Amino acid sequence: MQTVPKRPRSNHLDLAQRILDAVRQGGFRLGDRLPEQQVATLCNVSRTPVRAALHLLSEQGVVVWEKATGFTLAVDPAATLGAAAELPSADEDRLADSILRDRAARRLDGTVTAAGLSRRYRKEKRTVLKSLKILEAENWLEKAPGQSWLFRPAQEGPEAIAESYDYRLLLEPASLLEPGFRADETQSSALRLGMEAQLASPESAFDIREFQRLDLAFHGMVARGAANRFVGQSLADHLRLRRLPGMLHGVNVFRLKQSTREHLAILDQIEAGQFEAAADLMRLHLRLSRSQRPQAASRGAPVLPAAAERRGR
Amino acid sequence: MTARSGPIIALFPEASFGAALNCVGIAQVLRERGARPVFICHPGFTGLFADYGFAEHHLSLPGKEARPDTWQDFVRRHLPHFNLSPLEQLDTYVAPTWEAIVDTAIDAEPGLNALLARLKPDAVVLDNVIMFPTLATSGIPWVRVVSCAETELPDANVPPYLSGLAAEDAGRADFERRYLAAVAPAHERFNRFRASVGLPALPSSEFLEPSPWLNLLLTPDIVKRHRTRPLDPRKFIYLEGCVRSEGPFEPPEFPDGKGPLVYLGFGSLGAGDVALIERMISVFATFPARFIVNVGGFRDAYRAVPDNVYLDSWFPQPSVVAQCNLFIHHGGNNSFCEALYFGVPSLVVPYCWDGHDNAQRAVEAGVGLRLDRAKWTERELVSAMSTLLGDASMRRRLKENSATMSANPGTVRAADAVLALVGR
Repeated sequence: MQTVPKRPRSNHLDLAQRILDAVRQGGFRLGDRLPEQQVATLCNVSRTPVRAALHLLSEQGVVVWEKATGFTLAVDPAATLGAAAELPSADEDRLADSILRDRAARRLDGTVTAAGLSRRYRKEKRTVLKSLKILEAENWLEKAPGQSWLFRPAQEGPEAIAESYDYRLLLEPASLLEPGFRADETQSSALRLGMEAQLASPESAFDIREFQRLDLAFHGMVARGAANRFVGQSLADHLRLRRLPGMLHGVNVFRLKQSTREHLAILDQIEAGQFEAAADLMRLHLRLSRSQRPQAASRGAPVLPAAAERRGR
Repeated sequence: MTARSGPIIALFPEASFGAALNCVGIAQVLRERGARPVFICHPGFTGLFADYGFAEHHLSLPGKEARPDTWQDFVRRHLPHFNLSPLEQLDTYVAPTWEAIVDTAIDAEPGLNALLARLKPDAVVLDNVIMFPTLATSGIPWVRVVSCAETELPDANVPPYLSGLAAEDAGRADFERRYLAAVAPAHERFNRFRASVGLPALPSSEFLEPSPWLNLLLTPDIVKRHRTRPLDPRKFIYLEGCVRSEGPFEPPEFPDGKGPLVYLGFGSLGAGDVALIERMISVFATFPARFIVNVGGFRDAYRAVPDNVYLDSWFPQPSVVAQCNLFIHHGGNNSFCEALYFGVPSLVVPYCWDGHDNAQRAVEAGVGLRLDRAKWTERELVSAMSTLLGDASMRRRLKENSATMSANPGTVRAADAVLALVGR
């Protein structure tokens, strides 16, 4: 059974995933110590969030903490890719996931109320309100006048998806071209490993959820690397909308592999400091991804105007 | 054999998803065998074949650019006709459709001629219901794929094409007479066009002659008919379906989902009938199963979807059907063959064309049931689903047949036959 791809519940969850990527890339093994400062340096963040993320991993059994030694790896990091996505969440987090899942599946209308959600999910209203606040903070919905909450436009339907690609075509190459762009090298390396592993898998075993994780992380890295903070923030906010469940159901695996190869080619140019080439490849990548499935035609396809006029019908 | 030196096989499916995806299945195996499959395609299908990694060459159809609302207009115009009987559809749907198909063949002629000259294929795989004269006169070996029901090739033991009748039905002669009358104007126009390019006229019910080189029929053995004049096995090969390979599909999470998995897909045409699908969904809400529903480009039209229903605009259908316990479809031949290939019972709700024939055959062969599109009741739908989900004997027979079909896939048979034709 497919589980719903998780929203970014917190920075700690994202960071826990980055820690896993970093320790794997860094060649850490089962039983190795994970000094907080070293991990913080690897992930380019301060020690405080690293400690919180390590505690999340500790709850999952990925690391253990002892007073004498601090955190040590309790598993083989190569075998735990994606483990952070399985981290348990609070009740309101799980409810927020369910609300998103059901909105994506059109079980919920574009406007909801806390009372209605409380009845539907059999949760206390205060829990529902906490979930709505989480979703509001992540720009999924906004408070409307009165008791209603309004879902923001999502990437649903061909027109919205096309507009999203148009928007990204403006900003993602711009992020790469702005002087001062800086990619997270550790994450870049971890992404490369993950993408190469995906390319090595046969189409019949292709993990679409893993593709989605890597795809989001790759484009998120481009957004975070922007020297212009407003470009980076706008992109990051927009890319979050792509985490909606079911976003990739209609995409062919051949195209996903092709897309992965395009990601790798862009990474090559970023790592070589060739940002103009990276931006060109990004434009190409986004244009190819934007290509829509055909408009339906069928046996007895519409009699188009020219032919009808010619026969005088 | 290297890819560079392999023969060029041009696949030329008609502008329908069934034919297009059927050809994708053949092309996937041709590519594995080292051939160079390329697609000649209708401009409206841009991107479909490229998504599977194949080169696309678009037919030039001057003045034929479809408006964004063309398809919706077409569906809206014809939806009432799909509630009519096959006999009543002859004048309202079948005849205008043949007129449109003849238009396509005439309009494609110059562009196809130029494409064949440029591509220089070693063979052309034509998955269509009409001949393109420039192909017949090109001298290039061409393969006819009969991706409709077997009824497309007439025989005394085979019911009339598009009739939905049993072979021995008393109404047969009347249907045949009225079919010929309805399509006569299009047929005469097409024959005049053939004459203008030096091709002989076709008999009154035919728009496409058998290929003198090779003909491929999708028809699986379990639904095959015993013809009074068997097809020449040197020129006609039964493929036992022709199911493409797709990426994996994981069923979505349902809030309260339990029970068997049912897939509903009415094809690109049927997805436009929102009212019908909404009515079915309201029944699904009360039935103890999980439903995956393909709603094509009309997803925005739905709201308050029940907790045991998941809908989306596209699915990797073979991968979905493989995991289902029941497939509710329109009788499109690809859908019917996919159900048989994976050993899944069919509940056929036919709209038009050979969907009627496959619905009839599903019942006759004991591989499914038919539901009347216009007159079904909630009780009938529930009863049909319960019957098909509970029929252990049918399921066992379908699974045995599935094992036979998948042991020698039609895509492989087709690709091998095409390569044998071009001497590779």
